[in-house]
Order: sequence, then structure tokens, then C-alpha cells
Amino acid sequence: MNNSSQPPKFWTRLFQWLCNDTFYEELQGDLEERYVMNAQEKGSRKAKCIYKKEVIKMIRPSVLKKTRTRTRLNNIAMFRNYSIVAFRTLLKNKLFSTINIVGLAISMAVALITIAFVTEINNYDTFHEKGDRIYRVNNDRLYDNRDPGHYATSSILAGQRLRDEFPGIEKVVSVYNSLNGDIISDGQTHSVRGYFVSAEFLEVFTFPLLYGNPETALDEPHSIVITETTAMRIFNRKDVVGEILERNHESFQITGVLKDIPNNSHLKFQALGSLATYQTSERGRRSISDWTNMWSSYVYLLLPEGTTSETAQVWLDQLSVDENNKGPRFNIEMKMESLASIFPGDGKYNQINTVMPKENVRSMIILTLIVVFSACFNYANLSMARSLKRAKEVGVRKVVGARKGQIFTQFIAEAILISILSLGIAYLLFRLIRPEFLELNFYISRTVALDLTTNIYLQFFTFAVAIGILSGMVPAFLMTQFKPVSILKGAVNLGGNRKFGIRKILIGIQFTLSMGFAILVTLAYKQYNFALNFDLGYTTENILNVALQDNDPKLMKNALESVPEVLGASLSSMIPSTGSLNSDIASRLNHGDSINTYSIMVDENYLDNMSHKLLAGENFNTDLVNDQMIVNEQFVEKMGYSSNDEVLGERIFYYNDTFRIVGVVKDFHYGTVYNEIEPFSFVQRTNNFNNVNLRVASNDMVATMSKLSEAWERIDTDHEFNATFFSESIERTYNTLSSSMKTYGMLAIVAISISMLGLLGMAAYAAEARTKELTIRKVLGATVYNLLILLSKNFFVIIVIAAGVAIPLSMQLFKTKVVQDVEYGIEVGFWELASGALLVSFIALITIGTQARKAAKANPANSLRND
Amino acid sequence: MKGTHLGEFQELALLTILVLGDDAYGVSIKREINKNIKRSISRGALHTALTRLEEKGFLKSRQGEANEERGGRPKRYYEVTNKGKQTLHETREMRDNLWNKIPSIRLELNYAS
Repeated sequence: MNNSSQPPKFWTRLFQWLCNDTFYEELQGDLEERYVMNAQEKGSRKAKCIYKKEVIKMIRPSVLKKTRTRTRLNNIAMFRNYSIVAFRTLLKNKLFSTINIVGLAISMAVALITIAFVTEINNYDTFHEKGDRIYRVNNDRLYDNRDPGHYATSSILAGQRLRDEFPGIEKVVSVYNSLNGDIISDGQTHSVRGYFVSAEFLEVFTFPLLYGNPETALDEPHSIVITETTAMRIFNRKDVVGEILERNHESFQITGVLKDIPNNSHLKFQALGSLATYQTSERGRRSISDWTNMWSSYVYLLLPEGTTSETAQVWLDQLSVDENNKGPRFNIEMKMESLASIFPGDGKYNQINTVMPKENVRSMIILTLIVVFSACFNYANLSMARSLKRAKEVGVRKVVGARKGQIFTQFIAEAILISILSLGIAYLLFRLIRPEFLELNFYISRTVALDLTTNIYLQFFTFAVAIGILSGMVPAFLMTQFKPVSILKGAVNLGGNRKFGIRKILIGIQFTLSMGFAILVTLAYKQYNFALNFDLGYTTENILNVALQDNDPKLMKNALESVPEVLGASLSSMIPSTGSLNSDIASRLNHGDSINTYSIMVDENYLDNMSHKLLAGENFNTDLVNDQMIVNEQFVEKMGYSSNDEVLGERIFYYNDTFRIVGVVKDFHYGTVYNEIEPFSFVQRTNNFNNVNLRVASNDMVATMSKLSEAWERIDTDHEFNATFFSESIERTYNTLSSSMKTYGMLAIVAISISMLGLLGMAAYAAEARTKELTIRKVLGATVYNLLILLSKNFFVIIVIAAGVAIPLSMQLFKTKVVQDVEYGIEVGFWELASGALLVSFIALITIGTQARKAAKANPANSLRND
Repeated sequence: MKGTHLGEFQELALLTILVLGDDAYGVSIKREINKNIKRSISRGALHTALTRLEEKGFLKSRQGEANEERGGRPKRYYEVTNKGKQTLHETREMRDNLWNKIPSIRLELNYAS
């Protein structure tokens, strides 16, 4: 017979697949008969066409498979049976059940933290009613042909021009992050943090007022709105509209009381002043009308419905071009960013509050997934290893009439049961780790609370079910593939001894991950230590930094210096090497050259106090006027001077002032390990100081501290004495490094213990499955050592391969992710890389060894007697 | 009496099976229906009708012989049960009754408007 008499194969198979088995034979027969007839009468092409149509028309309830209705009757009974069998298996294999449940529980506890964390992070700023139409204007600062600096800030001027000249924008909100410090009420000083904002703020953002009129509250100059908690703190009552607060010798009238700011707001404040206040003074007006004064003000836009951000971006571009054409000190390009993408965000400078980087959230999810998968692998591995024992059950079920789907459901259900049991334990663990996690980094606890809501519980449960399905999938699939005949004959070989079974691959992946973690932690720890003990080029030892908190610098310095343990005292505007930087463009007078130069303002004692090395010139001369600066070697080089001596006496235009260079200091690390050393200068000032730096020598630090505290209180009774050792500040600077190290460390321990649990299970299984072989070998004269080698050999190969993959991978990961911006990184040598891998291998070999030894040591008689 | 209600297509199928007598199986029924009424029905649609009729007890079926044309698959022959025949009679009676009650004048075709 030729091909044309055969109906299209695919369609036949399709029909067979969808047709109820009961009718398939007759219907297919009929279709084929028609097809043959049609083929003879109308030709095979037409016949095929008709055939296809017929198959498609077969898709109707009376023809399709009806698995659901057919099994509905005995469903409950079957599920009862499944759960009974599942529990019995659990109890029968205590070791394996424990390994599975403990492994899953640990990994799920980690996952629960992540779920709660990510949910909360993604919930940021969702309470604004017009949130989908709110955008922030970010500035890209272009200077010196360098990569543009991305700033979250924009100038007040930009906001004003957008408001005046672009009617297509519904509302423009300007926020000036400058309402920080003390406010006075009834002679009492309270410190508040807040912003000066334009009148639209309360209309655009959803921050409801308890008292006061939101439409007019911030219209007038010298208006202030405070939150209810702040009102309670200052006045001990909430209805405080009309009260007067004093700030910097100006009076502000309270025009509204806000409901407290939700925790999930990227704008965090206790008070809002009206930006109109700035219009009342000459200095204020100047500070808000400069295009390049973009350091601490923010512009938010509310676009009308239907206007896309692309349209608004065009307006921003127009405005940027217009302003840049006026020839400012540097060019700025404005960019739109939607409210939703502000938090979690990417690393822009000058965020209004610390922002959780998107990258951190992403890497946390990835790491969690790795741990969870690792635990799922364990489950799959052990279930498959044990499947031989369950094979008979499956065989009987199949003979009695179980369908593939039912067997599949049974094993999936079993996995779900285990994962829900684990969820219970994981939940307890979660409650245990939560406080630890929140304390990892003070920033985390400020950002999230990890409160459990119904939604989160629901997610937990869904997650557990998903994990059950995921981990049960492979074993369940394997079980359904069993042929009842061969199982019952006992002739089944599940490939336990195959060279490259799926189980070995899973173990291999697990090991790769564990080793990777271990290596990463070692490297991160090294880097952390390196950063802490980094030679900064000056002394930080025994230096105590005291925050001035708006006190008179000289007065306070003298008071603190009077304590005998203080060897030296100096004043500075900020603390170097802790991440804060301040820069401006310095240019040579009567000369074109200009460079971006970092600086701190210090008094004449600072350089001595910190043991800075002067290479040329001399220290600040107190008798002269305040126009002296001391630069570093980089400054000399980049500015184009040939020698340190040449630079002395040069006049530099800097911070809107002219300075005279009096000295050159040896390069030192004013930044962190993330920054390269660039031009830097010490600038002499008599005010603008924020810190007193005390060099102390004391045998009894506690007593010295209380003496210092007493000295402080003679001058200032309003503020607490606040002193920090320099080294502590530096340690805090590398907080991110240390907390990521702790996170990695914790995850590494989790991942390693999970894979060890899995390995333990596999080793136990391997030993058990080969008991007879081992005993016979032993009887024939094999030593315990021979048997150990025999049992560990396979695993050893896996470990070696895993190490081979893990070492380069984690090395790469460390270089590209962890220390990507670090300018001064550690040298990665053999031991840094190998130690983690060796540790994991060592633990693994011990795990296998104990099992193998147990099997090898067993008395041969015990196992042979039974045959 | 929903259970004994006979749809138009079901009635057609029953009658066709009676016409075909001993040779009533899927293909022949379909062909006969296609021949007598001018519409093409799919085998699937026919299957639905036949299943419903069998559920109602109007039809019974038996497996028949296989032949090579059918890829070696057996046919299923259908036969109308007594209950089926009775229902056909009732349906016809009911219809006749209605016909008889209509004055013949009303059945004249009106062409002019």
C-alpha cells in the first residue's frame, strides 16, 4: 500500500492522545474508513484535509478524556491511602526523613526571610495614590569627559523652571533636604530631620494631615508641618496647629500635623518646612537659583494622566540644553525616574535616604534559590535512591489499576507533605533568625521590619507547596516509568551504579555550590580584614572623634583638651577614610588648569595630631589669615607642577575663594578602599568644624571617657557627649562588607550543611545497598581500608570535579561582584582559593568515611547469616 | 420529561439507524444523514448524539468485525431499542396531533405581502 492510503500520522496521534480510550478504537476506525473512501473518491490531499477537520471537530466533551470524572468517586479514599503510606514511609526511614525534613527546613527558613524581605522591599512607596504618575528628576553630572556621575538630586532652579515653563507637567514638587538640626520650643531644644518642600508636596504625595489644611499648609513662608510623633515629643499632644517653633533664630508657625510616615516610604522626615521660606532672604534666594547647586535638593514631577515619561524626558532635555548653553561650571543632563524604581534603586549619589540597591535584593534572591534548590536536590536524590524499596508498592498499585497520573500524584503529594512539615520547622527557625538578620546591619532594621501579614503567610504556604512539587517531580516521574512486570519479577535496575546518573550530577552541582560559597566567604573575610587594617598613610590609633553638635569649636576644644589624658586636640569638618567626601573644582589663578579636588577643613593642629607627613612647605600658620591650603602629591602632579617646591605659594581658586598653598602632604587614603587617591587638600578655616579629634593616652578608658563627658557638659547640657574611636568609625564604614560577609557566611554554612546532609544520606544508602558485596569482599580478605576506598572513590571523583568548577567560578564572581569597585583589593593566592574547597572536601570525606567505616567494620556474619 | 426528550438531530439519527437496519455503524450513519439532509455533519458530532441516545436507552450497540480499510479496528453497530422506537412513535404522534389541529387554511403559503 502506498503512503496516500495512510491518514496523517501526527493527527492520528493527536486524536489518540485526546480521545477517550473507550471510544478511540471505533472512532479512529470510522475516521480511517472515511479517509480511505475519500482518498479514492477525491484524492488524498482532499482526504487528508477532511481528516484533519474531522479530528479537530472531535474536540468535544463527549469524545475527550474524562480522567477527572472517572476518578472522582474514590479520590478521598485514595488520598487517605497516600497519606497513610507517606507517613509510614516517613517513620520507616527515620534517617532519610530527618535528612530531608531538616535540610528542607533550614533552606526554607532562609527562603522565608527572603520572601518576607523582598515582599517588604517591593512594597516601598506603594501607598501614594498617584504613585504611578510620580517621577523624580535625576541629574547626570558631566565633567572633565569622565563617566557621568549619577545623582538623585536636581537643583531647585530646575524645579522652578519646570513649574513655570512646562504647563504639560501637572505638578512639580521641590524638596530641599536641609531642615535638619535643632528646633526650639519653650526654651527646650529638640532635634528633627526634615525637608523644606514646595506647596505641592502634600497634594502629590499621599501623606495625610491629621490637623490643618493640606492645600494651604505649606504656602506661606515660615510654615512648618510636623508628624504626630514629633508633636507628641515636643508638645505632648497632637493638636498643635498654630504653635510656634524656633529654628536658627527664625520663627516657624505650625500649620499642620501629619499622620506618621509609613515605614515603606523612601521619603522619611519628621518635619516639613515651606520652601517659600527661602524666598524671604537674599542668601536663601541665591542658594535656590543656581543651576549647578544640585547637591541636596530633589525635584518630583506629577504627570497628567496620559502623558508618558518619554514626553516629559523631551521637556527635561530642552531645559538641560538651555541651561547648559549658559556655560555653567559643569553640564547637567536631567533624567526621569519613576517613583517605583527609586526603591530598591541603583547606586545614585545623594539619595534622599539610604536606598537598598537593586543588586543586593537580586543577589539575595539568587543565593536563596541556590540554597533551596540544594535542599530539593537532596530530596530528589534520596527519594530516587530509595525508590527501589518503593518499587514493589508502585508495581502492585499499577497492577491493581493505578494510572500513571495517580502514581505521579501520590509521590508529589508525599513530597508536598514533607515540605509542609518542613515549613512548620522552618517557621520556628525563621522566628529565631529574624532578629539576627535585622541586626546584621543597622540599615536593614531601619528599612524593613519583616512583619508577618496574611499575604506573607499565604506566600509561605504557596512556596512550601511549590517546593514540594519541585522536589517531588523527578522521583515521581521516575516512579511512574516503572514497568510493573519487571518490578514484580525483581529484575529492576535503577541505574544506581551507572557512571553518570542524574543523582551524581545533582550531588556534583550541590558540591560546586557549597565550595563556591566557602571560597567566597574566605575571600570576603580576607578583603574585610584587609580594608580594616589598611595602611591609610596616617595614624588613627587612639584618636577619639567627638561630634561638635553645633557648639563653639574653640570653646569645646579647649574644654576637652583640659582633660589630662588628652595629648593633642584638633578640629576638622569631617572624618576622612569613612566614606564621606567633599569636593569642588580647584583652578590655578591666571591659568587655565582646573581639577576636581577633594578636601576637608581643618585647624592648624590637625596634621600633627594625625601624624601626616609634610613633604614640603610647612603647616598652617595661625597668625595669618584663613586662606592657606595644604595639598597632596596627586594634586601637585595632576595640576601640572613639576615639583613639590614649585607649588608652594601658588594661588588657587577653590570654594569661591582664593587660597595659597603652603605645604605638600604625602598621599594618604582620605577615602575608602573603593576610592583611588586623587587630588586632595586640607583647607584652613576657623569655623565650619563638626568634629574635635582627640589623641588620648589612657590606661583606664572608662574613667577618661567620663572625664571627657564632664568636660563636655560644662559647655553643652542640651546634647549628649558623642565620641567614637577612629578605628570604630572605619569599621562601621566597611559595614556593608562585613554584613555581606556574614550573609555569605550564613548561607555558606546552610549550603554546606545541606549538601553534607545529602551526602550523608547518599553514603548511607550506598553502603546499605552494597552490604552484601562488602561483606563478601571482607570475607575474601579485603581490609577496612580497601573497603573505605571502594566506597569513597565515586564521591571523591565528584568532589574533585566540583572543586574544579567551583574555584574559577567563585574567583570570577568575587572579582566581578564583590570587589568590583574596590581599588585596593587583596591578592588572591592559592590558599585563599583552595582552603574553602579543601574544607568542604574534608568534611565530605569524613561524612562518607563514617558511613563506609560502619559498613566495613560490620561483622560479616550478621549480614550473611540471613541467606 | 427531560430524559426521554428527543432532539431534532437525535431523532434524525434514530430514524437513519432504522433505515440502515443491520448495517448501521459510524460511517454508514454519517453517510446516510449527509445524503438525506443537505448538511455535512462531523463524526464527532454524530458521536455525541449517539452517546446521548445510548445513555437514554434508545440505542444499544455491539462491537462488530474489523476490516483492513479501517486499519484493523472493529466497527460498532447500533440498533434502536424498543424504548427508542416507542419514543419515535410518541414524537411522531405528538407532531401529527399538532398538524391535525391546524386549520388547513393557515397552512397555505402566503406570497403576496
